[in-house]
Amino acid sequence: MENFDSLMHGFSIAISVPHIALMIGGVLLGILVGVLPGLGAPNGVSLLLPLTFGMAPVSAIILLSSIYWGALFGGSVTSILFNIPGEPSSVATTFDGYPMARDGRATEALATAFGSAAFGALVGVVLITCLASWIAGVALQFGPAEYFAVYFLAFSSFIGVGGAPPMKTVVSLAIGFAIAAIGMDTVSGSVRLTMGVDELVKGINFVVAVMGLFGIGELLIAVEEELHAKPVSSTIDWRTLFRTIAGLPKHWVALLRSAAIGCWMGITPGGPTAASFMSYGIAKRVSPRRANFGKGEAEGIVSPETADHAAGTSALLPMLSLGIPGSATAAVMMGGLMIWGLNPGPALFVEQKDFVWGLIASMYLGNIVAVILVLLTVPIFAALMRLPFFILAPLIFNVCVVGAYSVSNSYLDVMLMMGFGVLGYLFKKLDYPLAPLVLAIVIGDKAEDAFRQSMLMSQGSLGIFVNNGLVTTLVTAGFALLLLPPLFRSIGLWRNARR
Amino acid sequence: MLSRRTLEAATAILTGAFGVAVVVSSLNNGIDWSESGVESGTFPFITGTIVVVASLYNLVRGWLRGKGIVATRQGLQRTAALFLPAVLFVALIPLIGIYVGAVLYLFGSLRLQSHLSTVRSALIAVVASVALYVVFERLFQVSLPHGWLGAVLDL
Repeated sequence: MENFDSLMHGFSIAISVPHIALMIGGVLLGILVGVLPGLGAPNGVSLLLPLTFGMAPVSAIILLSSIYWGALFGGSVTSILFNIPGEPSSVATTFDGYPMARDGRATEALATAFGSAAFGALVGVVLITCLASWIAGVALQFGPAEYFAVYFLAFSSFIGVGGAPPMKTVVSLAIGFAIAAIGMDTVSGSVRLTMGVDELVKGINFVVAVMGLFGIGELLIAVEEELHAKPVSSTIDWRTLFRTIAGLPKHWVALLRSAAIGCWMGITPGGPTAASFMSYGIAKRVSPRRANFGKGEAEGIVSPETADHAAGTSALLPMLSLGIPGSATAAVMMGGLMIWGLNPGPALFVEQKDFVWGLIASMYLGNIVAVILVLLTVPIFAALMRLPFFILAPLIFNVCVVGAYSVSNSYLDVMLMMGFGVLGYLFKKLDYPLAPLVLAIVIGDKAEDAFRQSMLMSQGSLGIFVNNGLVTTLVTAGFALLLLPPLFRSIGLWRNARR
Repeated sequence: MLSRRTLEAATAILTGAFGVAVVVSSLNNGIDWSESGVESGTFPFITGTIVVVASLYNLVRGWLRGKGIVATRQGLQRTAALFLPAVLFVALIPLIGIYVGAVLYLFGSLRLQSHLSTVRSALIAVVASVALYVVFERLFQVSLPHGWLGAVLDL
């Protein structure tokens, strides 16, 4: 009941003319970055971050989260109409979305995607509404050792169930930690890892890293693969649209299953991309209509879309209540919170009630705004995709350069962004996951502080991590997530070899 | 043509080298236990070591298991055609500033690579740069670098 009251209070903050305007602007920008290959949600959010420094935090987070919702929807549009995923998380939508659209059922495909996406997002937000303050309440009791154990759990789940080759995930994570350590050490005040470059004392800003890794990296890949847009008709037939959405409940099994997968992957930082692939994979194995998958089967759109949006939304749950972002975009937003002077984590629910509940309420509204706007603007953004990518690419590049410079008026940042761009290109080519790298850059310092404080408390004994029931459970769960998947894999290999 | 094996090896060597640099540099900060707890080099030392070990694993695995081609010659040429002029643009920013640089870069890319007409290329380049100027310098009061050229012209 208390949550309900807080939510109503949140709506009173979120429903105001400037905030609705920010939502509309943010969603439109989000659809734009979602539609354009080479610009994604993490990058779109980081490009706008410097412009929010003067805003009130609640307005700023409404703007940034709306970009996120818009990007999630925009990515699906290009997947379905052009067979080009605008976002990595909408790759799985192409498998059945594009064949359906190609068969002349574009409206049906889009309606199925948006309808199930909205359902996934709704489940995610309801989950946040019900659980976030409770989790934050539990987390308020946490000491440094418990915090470190939660971080450990988050990172282990990346390595164990993230889907990328485990050792590549380890490299990605550890590099992120090292980058986070560059500059002034917050505990001792000594300067670390600057390799003689004085300007690095302030550290490497995660926004610059995100722009390079996601922006420049994806741009290079997109140009190399020379995307050919073979568009199908993008006019919307409203009657088909409403009929399709009204018919969605018949896929209730797929909807519920995918929403559950999505929420799980969003809270443990697997992220939307892993969630959509996993959901599609499971649907393909268990659905009674599995024979039609890949040929334009509605359930093949419902499964990845629901999971994608459920994960994207619920990724904000650990960010708000624990200070651990569940996806790369959530990591960027959390970095924003710190810049605005807020301290992400359980204390937010006590100290910044307006901010937290304003954001949660805006998530309900933002997703409604996003569904409406994306339906209205499909033809416009589809037209944009007909521009040759070779014209768009230099423009996007230019925006990234300016964006990187404006983060802290530093030319070094622009050069760093170029370096991160090359790294992003290499990593994407070779299936190194990028989200753990960004996550580690953003929360690396906090994880390190938690570790060092625990060590101080225990006078250097690792025993503090098995000191009480809670911390032992967290650490054990972390090790289980880390070690069990490879163990099962090797047992499977061994069995196959014996056959 | 670029084989997966070569690129896997090159990337693993790159990440491994970064790891070594982190390990060496962290030794300067101390990796021991002191009165104020764990010394500040310890955490970077551990992460650096993890990077080195995991990179070695990826190097061996990539070399043994890497098969096929990750990028064609045409693909690489297209990437280079976008990236190299971009590097030149960034390198010239201290000299000619972001606005003049952006006009030249956009014009050059559109005219020479996308084969747009001279008028169209010039129009897109100028409009995009003016839009940047209006948004950043006027609306958001963020001053972008004007470069040596800007200083000379006293902008």
